[in-house]
Amino acid sequence: MSFLTLEDVSFRYPNGYKAVENVNMSFSKGEAVAIVGQNGAGKTTTVKLMNGLLKPESGNVIIDGWNTKDYTTAQISRKVGYVFQNPDDQIFHSDVYSEIEFAPKRLGLPPEKIKESVMKAAELAGVVPYLKEHPYNLPFSMRKFVTIASVLAMESKVIILDEPSAGQDLLAMERLGLMIRTLVAEGKTVITITHDMEFVVNHFERVIVMANRRKISEGNKRDIFWDFDVLEESMLKQPHISRVSRSLQLEEKVLSIDEMMNHLQQVNNW
Amino acid sequence: MKEKSNNLLLDLYPSTKFLITLFIIITVFIVKGYLYGYLMVPLCLLLALYAKVFKELLGLLIKTLLVLITFIFLIQSFFYPGDTILWSWSFLSLRQEGIDFSLLLTSRIGAIGSALLLFFRITSVKDIVYSLEQLGLPSKVTYVVLSTLTIIPEMKKLSMTIMDAQKTRGVETEGNLRVRAKAFLPTLTPLILTSVASTEERAITLEARAFTAPVKKTSLYRIEKTKKDTVVRILLLLLLIVIIVWRVAL
Amino acid sequence: MSFIQLKNVSYKYPIGKGDVLKGINVKIEKGGFYALIGANGSGKTTFCNVLRGFVPHFYKGDLRGDVLIDGKDIREWEMGELAQKIGFVFQNPFTQISGVKETVFEEIAFGLENLGVDVDIIIQKVEEVIGLLGIDYLRDKNPQELSGGQKQRVALASIIVMEPEILVIDEPTSQLDPRGTEEIFKIIELMKLKGKTIILAEHKIELIAEKAEQILVFQDGEVVMQGTTEEILTDPQVLEYGAALPQYALLGLEMKKRNWEVGQIPLTEQQAITTVKGLSHPKGEQVCHS
Repeated sequence: MSFLTLEDVSFRYPNGYKAVENVNMSFSKGEAVAIVGQNGAGKTTTVKLMNGLLKPESGNVIIDGWNTKDYTTAQISRKVGYVFQNPDDQIFHSDVYSEIEFAPKRLGLPPEKIKESVMKAAELAGVVPYLKEHPYNLPFSMRKFVTIASVLAMESKVIILDEPSAGQDLLAMERLGLMIRTLVAEGKTVITITHDMEFVVNHFERVIVMANRRKISEGNKRDIFWDFDVLEESMLKQPHISRVSRSLQLEEKVLSIDEMMNHLQQVNNW
Repeated sequence: MKEKSNNLLLDLYPSTKFLITLFIIITVFIVKGYLYGYLMVPLCLLLALYAKVFKELLGLLIKTLLVLITFIFLIQSFFYPGDTILWSWSFLSLRQEGIDFSLLLTSRIGAIGSALLLFFRITSVKDIVYSLEQLGLPSKVTYVVLSTLTIIPEMKKLSMTIMDAQKTRGVETEGNLRVRAKAFLPTLTPLILTSVASTEERAITLEARAFTAPVKKTSLYRIEKTKKDTVVRILLLLLLIVIIVWRVAL
Repeated sequence: MSFIQLKNVSYKYPIGKGDVLKGINVKIEKGGFYALIGANGSGKTTFCNVLRGFVPHFYKGDLRGDVLIDGKDIREWEMGELAQKIGFVFQNPFTQISGVKETVFEEIAFGLENLGVDVDIIIQKVEEVIGLLGIDYLRDKNPQELSGGQKQRVALASIIVMEPEILVIDEPTSQLDPRGTEEIFKIIELMKLKGKTIILAEHKIELIAEKAEQILVFQDGEVVMQGTTEEILTDPQVLEYGAALPQYALLGLEMKKRNWEVGQIPLTEQQAITTVKGLSHPKGEQVCHS
């Protein structure tokens, strides 16, 4: 059952630039979906349509039975949480704890519940050691996790992450992966924009590909990463290990190191 | 190099343009009576018409000067001390002295105001800054002036983004004044912090581009004085002398 | 005598708690391509700031040890001189424009104007760089209105045009898509071919494996490993320090773990292909290709 649906959605910015054209998408509860494509393909515009920041020029965006046209972004924020690309556009408290606490406090929850939400979000985003710090004393990559925690604390059903992998190190990437798995296990929908194909392989099943303002394909990551027409049109590359297996013309559509190892072991009967 | 617009007025060197303005400002104090001053307003408009900025100047004049002049006129006509009462109602009385004074004052304000507004309409900030730099103004000062011009639209863009970020955290920003005022506060901190942070990076950028190199800078952008500037300057000087002589002789 | 030499360098920011760089000893040779890797907050950016002289000239704080650029201590270099010696490009493309120029052409010329170069030569050099980087289509655009990737290329062009001998580049691609990233790497490679010394902090490890010659691994303000790309990026110890290894090396290491005969651990796509082709099992069986 679809929880969030984009029905034939188009959007044009006030300056006349058409950013998204006739896009259809739908997302269910408890799934993680990656949206990939070059800069300017329309990814960020698409996710901004999902939380009402932008309203479609034509078509409809339906979230849990709500049409975004009939609600303000502030209202929709209870259902859809959105983490911006740049954390500095979002942070406005002088310590991490207050920053995370902001949204649940606004929802008027009882104090114990607020504290619980804050701590849970902080743990999931890995910012517990920094709760008393001033967000601006943390490095950029950690500030991003502060904004993630502040959105997680709203406990919305859908969480949208706009390029969380940009500029992150190995440990941070693992933390992101763990976080997404946990959220999905709780029945939440996680929609992530990313440029990192290994990150997609490791943590997502379904992939949506955008190019030139349109959704050009969607499907299982294996089908997408082995569909060379789609990759060419979207100017994306296969994950690194897939490239090796493609050059060697291996029979199996390999995506990761583990799969490559298993495949080699099998064909050689080792 | 600045591109020529083939418009005599627009192509003048900034300081020559300023001399025209200065000429008007000085002469309204030399020439007796209010007629000269008032004549300067349509003269400036004529010049603006020639420089193709008529509409902008007229708009500015109406919005700023007309309001100011009307206001001064009303106040001074009624409250300037004098004995020649022309008309009165209750405690208000219109006096000849007041009207005379108002006419003189407003003619001067009108002339000076339109001359200055004309100058800023026909001279870009870039040109003003360039000529000031040529006069020896430190490049740090001119940088601050020029960068401020780009900061304002940037800040506006940034504040829109921050507002969006607040909306997604449940802050209601759409609605009546109270709602919007309440939403305004949380946008201030990130706006200021981001601006401060980007100022630091901007300083590094300037450093990386040898802004503080201890040599005389060159400039790709150049405006040069031409013969036309000399002619205009001489004409202005001659006119000024004529006016002074005429004023003294009378 | 090395081109750049750091001897026992430690540094503490004015408001910071402890040292962010601890006892760093590094030699950088002329014309080399050095990559700095390691977790965020491990000291890479501060290291870049020291090389460029922003520490101690811009950020005060406590700098100990010797930082020699071309034999002369960093404290004795004038900031203006260093601008010509060392080009610096950093992460955020949005703040790396002067903010006072109306076109990309003028923006790129800004550094040369500050250096007092003759206008004719400025025009010639800017034309050259625009051609070299293939950004002619941006020439008349307003620098404020470019996308992140375009701004980053203009930022690079603005530094390259000043013809510094050394380029210090701090995470130039973190905001860019794969294509934008490749374009930046192409430019960096071009500079390397021109004989520039390159020092690059970057997370995209597969590209580093392909292009860089020397690697410095940072952890908690220390340089914990340094050596050639082949040595460092095939060593699983790197992972312990919180830095990444290329997928290809990880594949090779996994094979080695299972006692397959891999020979040299692969670093690049090409090497990985060769490795898989030449695989043999410890028992001596050849891979049969399907």
